[in-house]
Amino acid sequence: MKHFAILLQKEWRENIRNYKIFWIPAIFILLGITEPVVNYFLPQILESSGGLPEGAVFELPTPPPEQILTAVMEQFQTIGMVVLILAYMGTIAGERKSGTATLLYVRPLSFPAYFLSKWGMAAVVSLASIWLGFLAGYYYTLLFFGNLEVVKLLQMVGTYSVWVLLILTVVLTASAALPNGGLAAASAFAMYLLAQLVDGLFGTNWAVSPVKIPQYAAAWLTGKPDSGSLGGAIAIALLIILSLSAFGSWMAWKNKARTKV
Amino acid sequence: MDQTTLLLALLPILVIQLALMIFALVDLIKNPNPNGPKWMWGIVIVVINIIGPILYFVLGRRNY
Repeated sequence: MKHFAILLQKEWRENIRNYKIFWIPAIFILLGITEPVVNYFLPQILESSGGLPEGAVFELPTPPPEQILTAVMEQFQTIGMVVLILAYMGTIAGERKSGTATLLYVRPLSFPAYFLSKWGMAAVVSLASIWLGFLAGYYYTLLFFGNLEVVKLLQMVGTYSVWVLLILTVVLTASAALPNGGLAAASAFAMYLLAQLVDGLFGTNWAVSPVKIPQYAAAWLTGKPDSGSLGGAIAIALLIILSLSAFGSWMAWKNKARTKV
Repeated sequence: MDQTTLLLALLPILVIQLALMIFALVDLIKNPNPNGPKWMWGIVIVVINIIGPILYFVLGRRNY
């Protein structure tokens, strides 16, 4: 426990010094704001981009607020996830490469505490970014498109947070297991795409699938997802997070000989 | 919604973009050993919106 607290302090300091604590939230807030704004100005954008015959008339229906927030989540699903994977690909692999790890590994270090401190800091930064992003998106949706209950937003963001934690755990485990950050990002991204592909092709009847968590999160906005399958999906996701964390700590211990001095 | 409130509503986007750019530039100037030529990173950060500073933070700093 004492190890963990000290390591967490080190992670905190590192995240401030490499500005991750500033630029990751900034990106998510920007993504959250852009979606409602672009949707609001869509008629003007179409008009000014030209290429339309003279006198063309557009009747664009105003999208409901739920749709805008779902679109924000889709932005997070693509650009946001790439940003998170790239930001955290080097957490352990990069430390081995840069030599910071040498300073740590010569001490009697508890590897689960080491892995957990990395995971905890990454989770704090990315969850705060996601929440701020959704908050900014929600504010602009209220401003431009009308009311939506806060409870719905909270339910959606809560469900989506589980998904973000799952992605983070995959990235950190890859970073512990593979020799460098680039490989870790590539394999985490490949896994992300593969899981979505498999779920899209064969998963129509698998209600209890962690890959469907974002869909269930979006379902909170319009109604209510099936509570049984949502609970099952979250339980499986937590199980994967736990086992990957254990595997990651073990791989970090196993790879300590790879540290460059 | 009239023009001025709209502009006020759009101000945060500009502020965040500028803040990202300034953070990246300050870090680039202080960085003794970036991953690639400094002038190139300067151009990337200033010219490419949003993505430029991210690219610098992810690839330009030797911390991965």
